[in-house]
Amino acid sequence: MSTNGHIEKKRLENPPKSFKLKIQRRANENAPAVWETFELPYRRNLNVISALMDVRKDPVTVEGKQTTPPVWDMSCLEQVCGICTMVIDGRVRQSCSALIDDLLLASGSDTISLQPMSKFPNVRDLKVDRSKMFDHLKQVHAWIELDGSYDLGPGPHISNEVAQERYAYSRCMTCGCCLEACPQYGDDNYIGPQAIAQARLFNMHPTGKTNIDERLSGLMGDEGITNCGNAQNCVEVCPMSIPLPKAIYETNRDITVNALFGWLSK
Amino acid sequence: MAYKYSRTFLLRKLHQLTGIVPLGLFFFAHMFTNSKAVAGEASFEKAVQDIHDIPYLLFIEIFGIFLPLMFHSVYGVIISAEAKPNVITYGYGRNWFYFLQRATGIFLFVFIFFHVLNLRFGLIPGLNMTPVAGNADLAYDIVAAEFSIPWVLVLYILGIAATAWHLAYGFWLFAVDWGIVIGERAQKYALYGCVALAAGLFVVGTNAAVAFIRPCGLLPEILCEQPGHNKSAVPKKV
Repeated sequence: MSTNGHIEKKRLENPPKSFKLKIQRRANENAPAVWETFELPYRRNLNVISALMDVRKDPVTVEGKQTTPPVWDMSCLEQVCGICTMVIDGRVRQSCSALIDDLLLASGSDTISLQPMSKFPNVRDLKVDRSKMFDHLKQVHAWIELDGSYDLGPGPHISNEVAQERYAYSRCMTCGCCLEACPQYGDDNYIGPQAIAQARLFNMHPTGKTNIDERLSGLMGDEGITNCGNAQNCVEVCPMSIPLPKAIYETNRDITVNALFGWLSK
Repeated sequence: MAYKYSRTFLLRKLHQLTGIVPLGLFFFAHMFTNSKAVAGEASFEKAVQDIHDIPYLLFIEIFGIFLPLMFHSVYGVIISAEAKPNVITYGYGRNWFYFLQRATGIFLFVFIFFHVLNLRFGLIPGLNMTPVAGNADLAYDIVAAEFSIPWVLVLYILGIAATAWHLAYGFWLFAVDWGIVIGERAQKYALYGCVALAAGLFVVGTNAAVAFIRPCGLLPEILCEQPGHNKSAVPKKV
């Protein structure tokens, strides 16, 4: 995804009269997953969310069965909040920025499949519980200590280079794409690139650096950074183009220098 | 603040290290010895005899090869079992390499077990029953007899290919896992280097294997000095 410059919109030359949404549904977290297909009239400029809204108005499947309106999460509708992330035609991405024209063009079929992310506990239908990612942020101390009993004064200067690199990591919106696509993430055996990149963000900050030990310790557990398998799907699917492997490898160097070989300087 | 080293953290670091230091070095030495066959039987058997003459050989075999190999392979299978491969959905190059590292690892787990029993110990029924260990003067003939069976030769060439890739990509993995190579461009160039290394190891290893059934291996014979089949060049064991 290009963040600068104009992106030429791809349009269907001969749009179909209608298309289908195939949605994987669950009544609650323990219910078995079932597929329901809905047929919708095609409109220009539909995205997955507006298509889901159309389904919600009249939730009748292609078999003519009246069903419950599908449940999904959404908020910003401009790919900066990350909450509407789901698996669309087998690939994880935000549903707000997934245009129906693009999806039909890419697959060449008249059906778009929607599934919830598989690596997070399901709440209902397309809605998942992403709280694990926020627990991981706590585990790696992903913040800077600012509170004191006196005025700490202005913060230190940061070079433009460092600021730019940190900015890339700061764009993380905790959407979960990287974890969904990671072949190592799952079953609680790997903390994942999202938290590691945030640890890197705050380790790069001159004030945040004072807590580097806490952050590295949070990454050296049984489910820590060494479980990275370097498949690098994370950076491929990241909607914010965050250089996640670089964050992991920079942190690997910190761990090699501080944690693994630090005792040699004692 | 003192760091708390978790069990998994230490085991992973040890796994990465054993793959490079004892096992990677051993593979280079192994390919070097095999390549002596390109210069003929006497040259190869002298090389095997030289290995037999290394002092403390048994300790080197146990602590430098056998134990690291056992740890690396068993723990490697445990790591592979944790993987949830998704190369069909996310068919990126590095994701395929991730999958291949585990696939070659599991293949090598079986292949190396076979290879050690087959040649080091001579214990595979229906195949060679004379161990190369302790029989340096027969080494060339043992291997030549094995490699004249087509499926055995094919299996060994597959084993060389899998090892060459697993080791060369393992260098790349080690470089990123220990924070030696970090940036995108550095990763790319390091990967080119590792692919070249894999190709080189495969060509050298395959040529050495073919040298047991055809003088000078795959190269034109004019490139090889032919000392002839002169067994007296090999010092006999006492």
